Amino acid sequence: MTAVLEATAPTFVETPRHPWRSFLRHRMGLLGAVMLAIAVLIALLAPLIAPYDPYANVRVNIGDIYQVPSAQHLLGTDDGGNDVLSSLIHGARVSLIVGFAAAAIALVIGGLVGIVAGYRGGWVGSLLMRITDFFLVIPDLALQIVLVAIIGPSLGTIIFVIGALGWTTTARLVRSQTLTVRERRYVMRARAIGAGDAHILRSHILPAVLPLMLANMVLVISLAILSESTLAFLGLGDPTVISWGQMLNFAFDRGAVSAGAWWALIPPGMAIVWVVLATTLLGTALEDALNPRLKRHHLEASGRDVAIDRTAPMPMPPFEVADAPILRVHDLSIEFEVGGRRLRAVDGVSFDLRRGETLGLVGESGCGKTTTVLGILRLLPPGGQVVGGSVWFDGEDLLGLDGRALRSFRWTRLSLVFQGAMNALNPVHTIGNQIAEAIRLHAPETSKDAAALGAAELLERVGISGRRASEYPHTYSGGMRQRAMIALALACNPDVIVADEPTTALDVMVQAQILELLGGIARDFGMGIILVTHDLGVVAQVCDRVVVMYGGIVAEENDAATLFRSPQHPYTQQLLLSFPDLTHPDRPLRGIPGSPPRLDAMPPGCRFAPRCPHAFDRCVVEPPPDYPAAGGRASCFLLDPAEPRA
Amino acid sequence: MSGRGGYLLRKIGWALVTIAVVVIFNFVLFRVLPGDPAKSGLRDPRLNPAAVEALRERFGTDRPLFVDLEGGNLLDSQFTAYLGALSRADLGTSYAFRDQPVSDLIGQAVVNTLWLVLPSQALAILLGSALGLFAAWRRGRPLDVAALTFSLFMWSLPTFFLGIILLVAGANWFGLPTAGRITIAGDFASSWDVIWDVGRHLLLPTLTLTLVLLGEYMLIMRSSVLDVLGEDYILTARAKGLSTYRIIRDHALRNAMLPMVTLIALNLGFTVSGAIQVEAVYSWPGLGALTVDAVGDRDYPVLQGAFLLIALAVVVANLAAELIYGWLDPRVSEG
Repeated sequence: MTAVLEATAPTFVETPRHPWRSFLRHRMGLLGAVMLAIAVLIALLAPLIAPYDPYANVRVNIGDIYQVPSAQHLLGTDDGGNDVLSSLIHGARVSLIVGFAAAAIALVIGGLVGIVAGYRGGWVGSLLMRITDFFLVIPDLALQIVLVAIIGPSLGTIIFVIGALGWTTTARLVRSQTLTVRERRYVMRARAIGAGDAHILRSHILPAVLPLMLANMVLVISLAILSESTLAFLGLGDPTVISWGQMLNFAFDRGAVSAGAWWALIPPGMAIVWVVLATTLLGTALEDALNPRLKRHHLEASGRDVAIDRTAPMPMPPFEVADAPILRVHDLSIEFEVGGRRLRAVDGVSFDLRRGETLGLVGESGCGKTTTVLGILRLLPPGGQVVGGSVWFDGEDLLGLDGRALRSFRWTRLSLVFQGAMNALNPVHTIGNQIAEAIRLHAPETSKDAAALGAAELLERVGISGRRASEYPHTYSGGMRQRAMIALALACNPDVIVADEPTTALDVMVQAQILELLGGIARDFGMGIILVTHDLGVVAQVCDRVVVMYGGIVAEENDAATLFRSPQHPYTQQLLLSFPDLTHPDRPLRGIPGSPPRLDAMPPGCRFAPRCPHAFDRCVVEPPPDYPAAGGRASCFLLDPAEPRA
Repeated sequence: MSGRGGYLLRKIGWALVTIAVVVIFNFVLFRVLPGDPAKSGLRDPRLNPAAVEALRERFGTDRPLFVDLEGGNLLDSQFTAYLGALSRADLGTSYAFRDQPVSDLIGQAVVNTLWLVLPSQALAILLGSALGLFAAWRRGRPLDVAALTFSLFMWSLPTFFLGIILLVAGANWFGLPTAGRITIAGDFASSWDVIWDVGRHLLLPTLTLTLVLLGEYMLIMRSSVLDVLGEDYILTARAKGLSTYRIIRDHALRNAMLPMVTLIALNLGFTVSGAIQVEAVYSWPGLGALTVDAVGDRDYPVLQGAFLLIALAVVVANLAAELIYGWLDPRVSEG
């Protein structure tokens, strides 16, 4: 999981859905279940629906062998003159019995090993995992052949051997799941109040592990069925029963190919494909429903992140000649498409950034601040689209840039410092190379040596010894990584740096150093900075101006000093009350009751109304416009001069 | 232990332990489980007890298993004899091919198996990585769906069945040979003719094995690339202004190859299983066919030798993969 995708994913996506429902939406899984049900039904009813009894002793005449399919023998006859269709129907029994029984054995062994290794840990755990690793390395089929050959090929042996060798993946899965559950808070709490191991295993570990184990078992069944048919084809099947692999073995060894008897070869092969496909589809769908994986990545969105009609020329908003802003965001709206619905994450956001100014973009998580800056940077995650408004950078229309122009704009004019620089730097390249890459990308005439020198100088600039340029990110501490990220952002001397929660994961001392560094850079280089944060303390420390966002809109904007002195919007007031104030240390801290609105359930009127202590009837029906207030602006009816209650 | 040297030592040490366990396991497997080799190998009712005794002595199965407590020499056991023979690369004598040393039989088979496995493995890794990369990049588009469907079918299709289908198709439509390594009693004018003939014999088995492995590697690469493309440093690379091509080449590929190397190593068992089946279908005289024939002939020395070699080869290949991983990933010193 990545921090940025998580931060920008609209809140409703995180609502846990019941696994069954997402499984039923999985059409492939349903198909697998139906295919498996058909196979099970055929196996159960085999003696009733098979036209002949393949186990009956019949005298074979030479003319009975490899008969072409006819009304009498729908799939012809095999090398022994037996009806292929009847053998096929009875073969389903062997395949499914071996599959289910071997998977059950594997499940019990793997489950036990996994739970003990995960729950106990210590030397028992590592010994068990070493044994698992050993069996994981030994090639399955070779060992199966040897074991079945030595013990003797009976159905019981085959089931035992496949089961006893097929538990390794289950053991690993169960172990990691047990480890995760063991560390969960409610389990720790249960242990702290003295719950016994048996109780914890029964009421916490098993319920969490069992669903995954069952999903995995379906996949182990498919493996077991494949193994059985392979052993049978290689001549290691139980000679007293009919199985699909054995049918293929007999047909292939006894001249079906040269006789052109495709009916003796194709049906048993396709039968194996049928049940393996069924169990694979079903098992994959079950695992997917229980353990959904990240579905999207950062390269999917390119080129489709703006959905405004751009054929008509965009009216450029008036720029004051004297104090022209370097960045002007005008009426920006961004939507996410989720499950066929379009949800508005950012709705008509406007603000300016002047040269050399540090602007704070503040709000609780999920208020749309990160989405806003990613929209400006044209880096929205897949599914996100700018659907309205404009973004002007130094007189240039950012939303209208095409691929090449956009690439050369990036980093040279506007660069980015991510939250959690842990993952924002590539672990397999040295810090120096990652900085030099940016330099040479935008100034290809720079020599390699000059770029390396430049990288070392930039590191020195942020307080890291230039000699450490040749080291990899994992050797840096968290604070140093964030400094290196800032050095990277400075690489092409941009006009504006966007810093998204640059200090979130750092301890207070390091936070202060990083903020000081950013402030110093803004001063020395005359760069504009947009600081995205939920931390008002950070804003107070470095920002000139503040934009407060709530529920995808701008709630209030003002210069920092005024905003902290006399907040106009009730949300800003509440937000300030929830942060410690050093000038009034005895003032009690108060959290804001309730939580930010979900994107799929936006209040029709003011978005803050449900949590606002001053809300009145007008607030719940009509969204408030911006009103000028205290030299800035705020979106609240309390500021409407015509409103009698204000 | 820490640092790269420590990592190297740990991995080599673990491989040595695994090899030791494989060697002991291989011995126990064939002695303790039912079936005295001399008895089950020569289940001929006409043999009188004296002859059986003579055979037991010849194969050494009359001696105690691990430790000789009654005789004069404690170490005079089957196990020490087995270890001694192993150290001389002596794997015993085949039951089925009278007086043929097992090591000779296996030596020839290994060469043939490598001729089949190496090209298939190389082709499958190359094509599978490329297809997996494209599928991940174009996630959800037609190419991705086609690639996923293909690997799903390849997974569900037993290797031997795919072999049979390709054998029938290749023989009927292209007149390709379907069995063996070379045309028996063929009339070859030059060594080029021999190479051409062997190549024609190798074509269908290689194609089968490549197709089977391809689906597997494609899936692995796809999920590996998907994981990497979801990482924040890919977003950094995009924000820097790198083109999609350069992001994939410089920032995604190497990181995605890391899990790929490990998974290829873990999947070697899958390769072995595929090779055994392909050799059985096409009577390709490699290690797999030798194993299957040995089962049919109850030729335990050959079975034992072949299994030992297969297991050791996989352990060594695994070690190689671990070492490559350590070389590719600067973070290994932490693990």
